[in-house]
Amino acid sequence: MITGTGVVKTFKQRGKVLGAREVQALRGVDFAIPKGGAASFIGESGCGKTTLGRIIAGLESYDAGEIEIDGVPMSGLKPKQRQPHFRKIQMIHQDPYSALNPTRTIHQTLHAPLSLRAKQTGRSRAWIEERAAEVLSLVGLDPGTVLARYPHQLSGGMRQRVVIARALTVDPEMLVADEAVSMIDVSLRLGILALLKDLRERLGVSVLFITHDVATARYIGDDGELYVIYRGQVVERGAVDTVIADPVHPYTQSLLSAIPVLHGLEQPGEQPVVPLESLDESRPDEGCLFARRCPFRTDRCMSERPVLGRTEGVPQEHACFYPERRSVIARPMSEV
Amino acid sequence: MSNKAPGVRIGGLTVVYKTPAGELPAVRDVSLTLEPGSITGIVGESGSGKSTLALSLLNAVQPPGRIAAGTVEIDGLGDVAALSGEQLRKARGKHIGYVFQAAQNSLNPLKTVGKQLLDLGRSHGVDDLRGLVREAKELLARMGLDGARVLDSHQHELSGGMRQRVGIMLALVLNAHLVVLDEPTTALDMITQANILKIVREVHAERGLTTLVITHDIGVVAEVADRLAVMYGGRIVEQGPTTEVLGAPRHPYTRGLIKAIPRLVGDISEAQALPGRPPTLATVPQQGCVFRERCALRMDVCETEDPQAVADGSRTVACHAVTVKEHA
Amino acid sequence: MSVLLESSSTSAAMRRNFWSGVWRVMRRKPSRLVGVVLMAGFVFMGAFGPMFYPDPLPRDPNQITRPPSWEHWLGTDDQGRDVIALVVTGSRYVLLAALVTAVITVVLGTAIGLFSGFKRGRWDTVLMRLTDMKLTIPGLPLLLVLSTVWKFSSAVQMGLVLGLLSWGGVARAVRSQTLSLRERGFIEAARGLGLSTTHIVGKELLPSMAPYIAMNMLIAITGGVYSQVGLFFLGVLPYESNNWGQMLNTAVFRSGALTVPSALGFLLGPLLAILLLTLAIVLVVDAMDEIFNPRLREE
Repeated sequence: MITGTGVVKTFKQRGKVLGAREVQALRGVDFAIPKGGAASFIGESGCGKTTLGRIIAGLESYDAGEIEIDGVPMSGLKPKQRQPHFRKIQMIHQDPYSALNPTRTIHQTLHAPLSLRAKQTGRSRAWIEERAAEVLSLVGLDPGTVLARYPHQLSGGMRQRVVIARALTVDPEMLVADEAVSMIDVSLRLGILALLKDLRERLGVSVLFITHDVATARYIGDDGELYVIYRGQVVERGAVDTVIADPVHPYTQSLLSAIPVLHGLEQPGEQPVVPLESLDESRPDEGCLFARRCPFRTDRCMSERPVLGRTEGVPQEHACFYPERRSVIARPMSEV
Repeated sequence: MSNKAPGVRIGGLTVVYKTPAGELPAVRDVSLTLEPGSITGIVGESGSGKSTLALSLLNAVQPPGRIAAGTVEIDGLGDVAALSGEQLRKARGKHIGYVFQAAQNSLNPLKTVGKQLLDLGRSHGVDDLRGLVREAKELLARMGLDGARVLDSHQHELSGGMRQRVGIMLALVLNAHLVVLDEPTTALDMITQANILKIVREVHAERGLTTLVITHDIGVVAEVADRLAVMYGGRIVEQGPTTEVLGAPRHPYTRGLIKAIPRLVGDISEAQALPGRPPTLATVPQQGCVFRERCALRMDVCETEDPQAVADGSRTVACHAVTVKEHA
Repeated sequence: MSVLLESSSTSAAMRRNFWSGVWRVMRRKPSRLVGVVLMAGFVFMGAFGPMFYPDPLPRDPNQITRPPSWEHWLGTDDQGRDVIALVVTGSRYVLLAALVTAVITVVLGTAIGLFSGFKRGRWDTVLMRLTDMKLTIPGLPLLLVLSTVWKFSSAVQMGLVLGLLSWGGVARAVRSQTLSLRERGFIEAARGLGLSTTHIVGKELLPSMAPYIAMNMLIAITGGVYSQVGLFFLGVLPYESNNWGQMLNTAVFRSGALTVPSALGFLLGPLLAILLLTLAIVLVVDAMDEIFNPRLREE
């Protein structure tokens, strides 16, 4: 179980001595991902979803709030003491090309973490070799052909599988997949998504998906939770299928409206939501962070900031004063 | 100034790249017609030859690549494949606007957008530079940007979506009527992507353009294109009106590709990955169908004979299995 | 330690692959082979060359400052000694000092750059200020001052001083490489997997920078040769043994090689040696990138 409460992260803009601006990457985010569970973070680029993922994987520090891994709070611990906890959470990077060291073979890449593991648990060399072959088989690669190769001899899809195999060498509790398929050929993406889902089912590894492609978020399984993040704040949170089928926050609705419609196969939604303007973080916001772009804003939205919570008749949590269901997503032709 | 959208006829185009293993075709015997005033989308994965095909439209394939055979006829220009030197340079920009892949990063980081605009004008011998700037401002305003501010900005001061719009402006400002957009929305998020696609559609209609969009994302093509061509292993395997191809795909690759897209509604497990992986220049079969390794409908004839594009009304498909079924 | 654990068959196969890859890289451009042969020649000359000549070299009073001839290919010096013999016997000091310079430059520079870039923060600030301070010290004037108190009679001494004066650039370059590499996914992944700093620096960072470091090493050798030849040429150091710089000094200032044609060979000898050494290094550097990059090695 991995939980976060009120996680805050502020970046100082570098290079500007005078009038240095602070960017609020995360403004107090709560989350909870149960053992073997799944969650996905969606939002525009720069919304803070990647930063949050990196904090969860222990690759970035946070300024305030608390992260607990299996009940152990992280903020009281020294970096050295945190490390074994964060090791249970492994990051799958977006770019499978830079995630593998080009000067090392796949064998060497898998060997390093495994030999560390063997030393800690007093296992033999034979175990290392066995386990290396095992993790490769788990991700659907043939150890015989892959082990001796260098990364450049593998396709993007195969590399991403190797990256996942490397993460599995430490028997992680959770995989954080940050846009893990966006750089992979379209016909192969589904294979990687299916693999993550399969690892969840077979090994009980929880999966955190970070993506701007909402449809791929469905792949984590229907028991998964969807977090819609906007400018460092969770604006809507609920079961994946509920949020996608019946979004209530205008931001979620504009995200879903923006998904291309496969004309000929699909019929666009009847009430698409288009933001009034594009994202501009240079102006301060008193009220709702989305208000200036929101077609449904009122005076209240401009002066008061809504917090994430529940209202009657809406199954998911949301941060909007006027939650309303709108039909925004494309439906298959056959249903119309 | 010709104010008419040009038509483009690509005939039997083959582009080869020189490799240690000899000259290998990245695009092989491709024929494609862009109707005047249409938006055509080319969809393909990495290594499908889609970018090479787009570059051939400018006759801008860089060595070690070269156009080995075929013609690229553009109305008002003639056969571009036969042009060279100064003629070619003039044709680019003036007749053909090209928005490069990752246009977000193709601006010179040291110069303001305005300076780059003037450079472009001078290199094409534009006398009325004031007029050029005015035109640029109008285009930028049309795309929802503050023209004066953008022209005064450096690349790093613009967001990804703004840079993409600047790229489109630079492609159109010399009054080109044929526009090629290579991966226009890669690395942009959904809302910006939707915005850019809307702009592409609107500008296309207002200025009377012939537009070619190259992408790996079927969704992008589905949103903007009238016609759709699917490329695989250097061949066009299927083409036709977008709604028809998406609604009833015939080639097994097109079908597989559409099936591989996760959807927002319906049973998620219906989406299926294509087995195998796309071929590279070195692994494309030299003989027979390029897709057969991953094909569920594979037959004996696929090993030896390259399926020819068979026309059926406004659609063409290059597949032995489809041809057999229809004639049976 | 992890290398030891690797199954011997795999690592042996990889070693074989490496050398066959190196051979491929060499064969692709014959000029690289020329570079390697030249380089080997210089190593041989520095190590064993002086053994082929008597010490001191024989003088021929009848052959003073002669142009090239069959007997003396590059002529003779103002004491009637063969120029080629002088170049060969003088090479040991020059090459050894240059090698020491290069080793110190690269080892110090890499260590400081790596540490600074990897640790960042306070360590980085302190070390880089130190480096900047070092970079502002003007090398040649300092050397001139040092030479008034120190005679640099041994090549190692010379190399040591030159090395201590020249690591700054390498440190800065290695630091910036480290800073950019540590943001790469594979370094981050290694940290996430809990691998030791020793592993990350030794097995992930250093190999990625190896071509860069090796190139710097070779360039530092030429740098070392130039500085000492320069010092001796200026004549600020009394010479106790043969040396290319001292030869140039004598050729120009005592034999007037710039005006007297018969002394031209005397001038040409050391110049040619320096030129060939530079050429050898340039050619080997050209091969370096491909040798260390597994992708280029194979194609």
